[in-house]
Amino acid sequence: MNEGRSPRRVAARAMLSALAPDRITFTLAALLLLIFLVLPVAAILVKVAQATAPLDALGSSVVTEALRLSLVTSSISAAVAAVLGTPVAFLLARYRFPGRAVVDSLVDLPMVLPPAVAGLGLLMAFGRRGILGGALDVLGLELAFTTAAVVMAQTFVAAPFYIRSAKAGFEGVDRELERVSATLGSSRLRTFFRVTVPLAGPALMGGAVMAWARALGEFGATIMFAGNTIGRTQTMPLAIYIAFQNDLTASLVLAGILVVVSFAVLFTFKALLGRSPLGAARA
Amino acid sequence: MRRRLDGFELDVAFGADEGRVVLFGPSGAGKSLTLQAITGVMRPDAGRVELNGRLLFDSASGVNLPPQARRLGYVPQSYALFPHLTVEQNVAYGIQRLNAAERRALVQETVVLVGLQGLERRRPRELSGGQQQRVALARALASRPELLVLDEPFSNIDTGLRGTLRRELLDLQARSGITTLVVTHDLDDAFFLGSRIVVIDRGRVLQAGSREDIFYRPATRRVAEFVGTRNILRARVLESDSQRLLLDWQGRVLEADPLPLSGGQDVDICIRPTQVMIVRPDRLPGLPPPENPFCGTVVQEALQAEAYVLRFRLADSPACRTGRAAPYDLEIELPDYVYFRLGLDRKKDATISIHRSAMHVIPVAEVAGARCCPG
Repeated sequence: MNEGRSPRRVAARAMLSALAPDRITFTLAALLLLIFLVLPVAAILVKVAQATAPLDALGSSVVTEALRLSLVTSSISAAVAAVLGTPVAFLLARYRFPGRAVVDSLVDLPMVLPPAVAGLGLLMAFGRRGILGGALDVLGLELAFTTAAVVMAQTFVAAPFYIRSAKAGFEGVDRELERVSATLGSSRLRTFFRVTVPLAGPALMGGAVMAWARALGEFGATIMFAGNTIGRTQTMPLAIYIAFQNDLTASLVLAGILVVVSFAVLFTFKALLGRSPLGAARA
Repeated sequence: MRRRLDGFELDVAFGADEGRVVLFGPSGAGKSLTLQAITGVMRPDAGRVELNGRLLFDSASGVNLPPQARRLGYVPQSYALFPHLTVEQNVAYGIQRLNAAERRALVQETVVLVGLQGLERRRPRELSGGQQQRVALARALASRPELLVLDEPFSNIDTGLRGTLRRELLDLQARSGITTLVVTHDLDDAFFLGSRIVVIDRGRVLQAGSREDIFYRPATRRVAEFVGTRNILRARVLESDSQRLLLDWQGRVLEADPLPLSGGQDVDICIRPTQVMIVRPDRLPGLPPPENPFCGTVVQEALQAEAYVLRFRLADSPACRTGRAAPYDLEIELPDYVYFRLGLDRKKDATISIHRSAMHVIPVAEVAGARCCPG
């Protein structure tokens, strides 16, 4: 057998190439997916640019109303998810209690459910003929097909994104820091706000942004539970879908705006995180 | 106090008066658990923790102060500095009740005390290990605790820097006057920092006493091993009276100071390597004969700084049985100049002498369970 091709050498070379993977191969493989992700987004922007008089669509009240409603409702939904989701995330991260695994799975459920199922569920719970419909009726409350229903639908599908991220954030906080805080005279609540929350901050913010983005894109649950009333429940995704049926240019312009706004928010968040003292340490 | 935890039972009792107390033991001995019970982050099943007459925990009367009410300065092994706060803010963390001016003055005073001037606006990750430790100390000291508790203070510090930091800590303790409890598995730390040492293993206090007690007079063979006693000889009592104790060690007779022991009892003899004498070859004949003289050979030697560590094998030694690479009976340590004056660099055969008072004799029947210290 030839010295240079001894099995030992071949094996050694195989190991070497496994340890030092070819960078070009990886870059090419990454490009494939990146192009696939970017192309549709770019196509929308290109088509908007090619359209004749695209800005006319902006003049219509349908577009401005949809944009306003989307921004307002998605922000409220993200805020609700953060305020109500923080205790849930903290409990899941810190305590072992019976049924914890069940709660953990329930929290994730809206992420895997088709939005249509979510909409149907909301309707069956809070709609006029839903389980709580009678009780709500007595109180003079009607939720289905109102702006409140939009927020509910968005919160339902978006909250898990916040809770996931916040839970991971709380889990990442060194318990020893909290113990030291206690020995330095801080109550549990003060420790939570002075140590735990600031340290989990990037994860909490990240979760809120993801929840906001998910709420902004919400379509299925909204159209089933809140309907499609201009100015009240017609958010951007709904308006895009409706416009798509008769006016492609209007649909494209709406889509373009959504793309730009979403990208701006995500990018700003990442940039801010990179500059914060904690974010830089984690990056 | 006592605590059962996943099959681990901690049962320790010790007192800490003024000064520096070290809780010393191997990993897994229950040191950290004891610390957690004292700081209040863990609740013992039964027991009592008291600080300057103040009851922190008592299972009998149901007292259990939360950590924030115990007035302890806790410096954990990792230092646990708040990474999102500056040095100044870290130090000020425990004194938020003071007004801004008082707080600023106290922070400044404490920063100077630990020698961190100029680093006030840095964040913890911009500091070296030693600086981080000082911030943790300053943070603990600023709130004027009644007890300073340090968990393995030097485990994250390079060996080269440890000596300096130990001295600094000693100095700081002396200046601040705060009673300090140090937990460590490092023997050098224990002897450097502790005026009182509590030896703990497997959840039990093996011995508690002054540093000298622990070092020169270990109560059991296990304590002797923990404190690095290098010569521990198993022997048997031949004869015991008010004048002396005669011991049989591998067929040789050793004479020790009297102890109330009965014949036939097994004992362990601890002899510190520095206390084994080498008889001068030119010893004047008129002198009284050396105590416990034995002939033998140096079979291995190592130079450590300015001392020679010799492994000495007695003539006709049965130590060969043990199958060690260089079978030896005793370890001897002596200053380098003595080594050369005795001519040991040329001639490896020598006569040694073990002074009666250099032998610490421990009866083998080990005391089971915990021992309470008198303090």
